[in-house]
This record gives sequence, structure tokens and C-alpha cells, in this order.
Amino acid sequence: MIHFAWLDWLWLILYLLLMTICGIIFYRLGRRSESDFFLAGRGLPWWIPGMSVYATHTATDTPMWVSGVIYKYGLRGLWYTFFSAWCAVAAFVSARIFRRSLAYSQAEWQSLRFGGLGAELLRGWMSGWGAFLNMFILGWVSMAMGKLCNYLFGWENWVGLIIPSLIVAVYVLSAGYWGVVMADFQQGLVALFVIIFASLWGVREAGGPAEIISKLDALGEGWRLNPFHFSGFFTGDFPLAWFLTMMFIAVLGGFGMGTSIDWYAEAQRIQSSRTVRDASYSIWWGTVLTLTRNSFWAAAIIAFFVLFPNLSNAQEYEMAWYRIAFEHIPVGMVGFLFAGIIAIHFSTISTHLNLGAVYLTRDIYHHYINPEASEKTLVTAGRVATAVLLIGSFIYGLMMEEITRWLIFALWIMGAGMWLPNILQVVWWRFNSWGYLSAWIANLGFSWLVVWVLPAFKVIPELPDYLQFWTLMGLTALVYIPVTLLTAPEDKRHLARFYAMTRPIGWWKPIKEEARKLGLLA
Amino acid sequence: MPADKIFGIKRKWEPEEAEAWTKEDWLAIVISPFAYALLMVGLALLLFLQTSGIFLFGLGIIATVLVHLIIDPKLRAVSSEYEKKQKEYLERLDRVVRWRENE
Repeated sequence: MIHFAWLDWLWLILYLLLMTICGIIFYRLGRRSESDFFLAGRGLPWWIPGMSVYATHTATDTPMWVSGVIYKYGLRGLWYTFFSAWCAVAAFVSARIFRRSLAYSQAEWQSLRFGGLGAELLRGWMSGWGAFLNMFILGWVSMAMGKLCNYLFGWENWVGLIIPSLIVAVYVLSAGYWGVVMADFQQGLVALFVIIFASLWGVREAGGPAEIISKLDALGEGWRLNPFHFSGFFTGDFPLAWFLTMMFIAVLGGFGMGTSIDWYAEAQRIQSSRTVRDASYSIWWGTVLTLTRNSFWAAAIIAFFVLFPNLSNAQEYEMAWYRIAFEHIPVGMVGFLFAGIIAIHFSTISTHLNLGAVYLTRDIYHHYINPEASEKTLVTAGRVATAVLLIGSFIYGLMMEEITRWLIFALWIMGAGMWLPNILQVVWWRFNSWGYLSAWIANLGFSWLVVWVLPAFKVIPELPDYLQFWTLMGLTALVYIPVTLLTAPEDKRHLARFYAMTRPIGWWKPIKEEARKLGLLA
Repeated sequence: MPADKIFGIKRKWEPEEAEAWTKEDWLAIVISPFAYALLMVGLALLLFLQTSGIFLFGLGIIATVLVHLIIDPKLRAVSSEYEKKQKEYLERLDRVVRWRENE
């Protein structure tokens, strides 16, 4: 438990007021149209969605996760956070293609890329999955806030789970994405300052850089400052094969859409940027901030390690950054630090509330239920969808302990076997909706078999995660490649229009010729 | 006026030619992940005042500048032409929506 002085309460109250005023200021902009409520009218300069990318991917549970991998692996643990490097390539490839499509969401993009019944099935599936996924993330992150409030103030978990999200709902419901992205900008700045300040303070409290290095050497743990300290090619706790697989997934994943779960939030930021150039720079620079933020955290967690080197319980060392920050920061700054944590939390919650509402409103209500809806009706539907997600997230959050393992498995399903199909849909004209759908179904079955069923019956050994990835990728390809080649290609006129609109990279020669023939290209 | 090419890198683009995927895109795609890795690892080592940190972080900054020098002229050309088309499309859409709402 920590003690709040009057100055701490002042910081916190000022910050909460600033956030709720944001909603009132942008209320008029958010209610103008569906495009304003979900994409801020597609008119933002790159640094606003860029800061939002950073703020969104700095959640309450992120320092816990980063603490876990850095405490365990030293600076090698930074590579676990490097999965966001997909943005290094996506900024110049898939962001450009997606921004040109004018799709509101990834689900809508499926019906531009593919045509006919297959496209509609995909859009329905993706929108349902998207809404569910956002509700799940909301519940997960809210529960992390509940646990943090319990650690800091001794409150019951449900208090931290529900109260902060209700405050966020004020500006998300009133101003939509305008409120989200403008609040994200302030939250990102506050969080950035707090993370840098608290981390450097932590390093100072552990005796400074030279003292930390000499303590690590005395403990025989000097390797912790070597980010390339591999334990062998296939052996040990940090094999080179894992590192190479992770690089492969992260970097080449940038050619696709949806190869990382973060793509879906980024897709909204890409579409809200005013130009293709702004879209590219928003995710490129937002990710630079995210990765360098991890460096500050890593330094503080190494400092924590030299103060408490013998923790073996993950639940204890996962609180490393929070502990070094809250237990060592000067009186009067604790409230500011907590306001920074609130900023981190608000930005993630607001993004997923609004993003989940895009799927429910644009892809389900507008597309399937009421295609003739007026802009006013769509904004109202967006608000109702936001409220539904909020209530759903509370229910998820309260039952999170029981279902987390299952849901992590569900996310893994998306990551492994779907990685290559998510790239193929961008780079290969012949890949069709039936191939993509069969990949989803096959991946679902193979994931159960490879991860759980076959190891349980001792048919195959329990594989490390990087070998699961290669196995699932290969097995799923055995299904969707034949399905794609044995079913008819997408209608060439549909693909030609798609090509003229988005100019995708890769193997599109026949479609480019078709587009020329139709007069769609100069 | 910028030169047409510097070290073989095209600096002046017409919107239509900028639509194609060229070596400038590939150079940005290849250098960009290195910039990320160098900035992240370099900064972490720099916070412990390691010489390798200063070196790697410096290389990260150079890679970042390089990526932008290579790709920015092309992105500007793509954006100007495409956004003009998009603006016309969205304005037309807006007129249709307003007309419907005023019915």
C-alpha cells in the first residue's frame, strides 16, 4: 500500500478533469458523421495518430509483462518486445495499401479484396471476431488495473476494473474517435514523461549505471547486459532458433495485414491519417516510441534485479517496474506517477472501446442490418455499441482468471497458422476467399492438435513456441494452398478495381493488365 | 530545387510513377527494421553508459535519417495525387449524405 499526500491527490484530480473535458470539447466533432465518430474525419497529421499508437500499446499490464521477460532474461528480453517491428515494414507496405482502400476496418477490407459469398462470410467472421477480441482485451487490461489498485490502495479488484473504465466511457461515448485520439495525445505525453522519469530514478536508486554493472558482475550476472547472449542454436532458455523465428515473424509480417494482433488498432490510426505519408509515419514513429520506451523500462528492471536478485515467483518479479517506481519516487510525485499509469490505462481502454464499436456499427449494423441508416443513426449506433462493449468487458474482466488460458490460446491460433495467409492476401492475386476461409478453419483444428491434444496423448512431444509456429504454418498451408488452386479465382474485374484503388505489392501482373484493359490505369 | 537523383536514389517523383514499387521502397523496407533494433538496443545500453550503446544508438539515428531521406519524396508524391482523388470522392459522398438527411 502507498500513501497519497495532498499534492498527489491534486495531480490525480487535475488529470482526470483534463481527460473528461476532452470529451466535452470534441463532442460536436464526434457527432457529425460515422467517419468523424470512428476516424476523426480522416484528417489527422501523422504525429497525432503516431502518439496514439504509442499510447494504445502502453497498457497497465505492459510494464508487468516487460518486467517478467527482462527480469528473467536480462537485456535479451528486449527481443520479446521486438515483435512490434512488423511496423518497420508495414509503415511502407501494408499501411500504404490499406490507407488507399478507404476501408474503415480490416473486416471491411476483406470485402474489397475478395468478392461474392466468400467475402461476405469473411467480413461477418472478422467483424464478430474483432468485436470479441476488443471486449477481451478490455476485460484483460481492466483486470490488470484492478490488481494494480489492489496493490497500491488495497481496494477490491472490481473497483479498479470498473471505475476507471466508466470515466473513459464519458469521452469515448460523447466524442468517439476524436475524443480517443486527442486524449491519447495528452496521455501519451504524460505516460512518456512518467516512464522516463521513474525509470531513471530507479536506476539512480540502485546506485547508478556503474554501481549496477559492478553489482551484476559480483553476482556473476554480467551477461544480463548482453542482448545477444544466446544459449545455443536449439538448446537452453534463449536459443538462436527462437530469435531468428521471431525476427522472421516480426519483420516479414509487415507485408501482410493482421499478422500481429496490434494491426487492428493500427489500421484505425492508418485510416484516420490525412494522407498516405501521414499514415506511414504515424505507425513508424509510434512504434519507435514504443520500442525505446521498452529500453527505459529495461534499465529500471535491471536496477530492480540488483536490489532484489533472488525472486523466483513470477508474480513478484512481474511487479518490478511498478515497485521500483512507486517505492522509490519522491513524495508528491507519487500522484503524478499514478496519473501517468491512469493515462496508460485510459488510452488503451478508449482505443479498444471505439475500435470494437467500429466492427459492431460499420461492419454489422450498417452493412447487414440497416444499410440505409443516416449519419445521425450511425453515430447513435456507435454509442450504443460502445456501451455494449463496456458492459461486456466488465463481465469478461470478472471471469478473466478462469478463461485467460483459453483466450491466450485463441490469440495464438490467430498468430501461427494465419500468419502466411494474412501476407498472401496482400501479395498474391490468386489467393481467394475460400483459401483464406479454409486457412482459418484448418488453423483452428491444427492448433488444438499440435498445442494440446497430440502432446497430451504423447503422440508428439510438447514443442517450444517457435517450433509450434513452423509446424502450424506448414500444416495449414497443406490445406489452403490446394483449396485456393482448386477453387475459382476471384472475379478479375473486381480484382482490377481493387488493384487500381490500392496498388498492392507482389504478384499482381494479370490483374494489372486487366485494370489497364478496363481503363482504370494510365 | 532538389537534384533528380542522389547516389542513385530518385528524389523527384511524378505522382503516377510514384505509384509503382521501386528500389527506394525496398531500401526503406530493408533499412527500417535495423533502425528499430539499433535504437532499442542502443538506448538500453546507453542508459548504462556503455560505449557500445553510444555507437549502436548513433547508428540507429543514422539509419532513421536514411530511411526518411530515401522514402519521403516518394511518399509525398503518392500522397498529393491520391489525396486529391480521395478528397473529391469524399466531398461527393458528403453531398449525397447531406442530401439524404435533408429529405
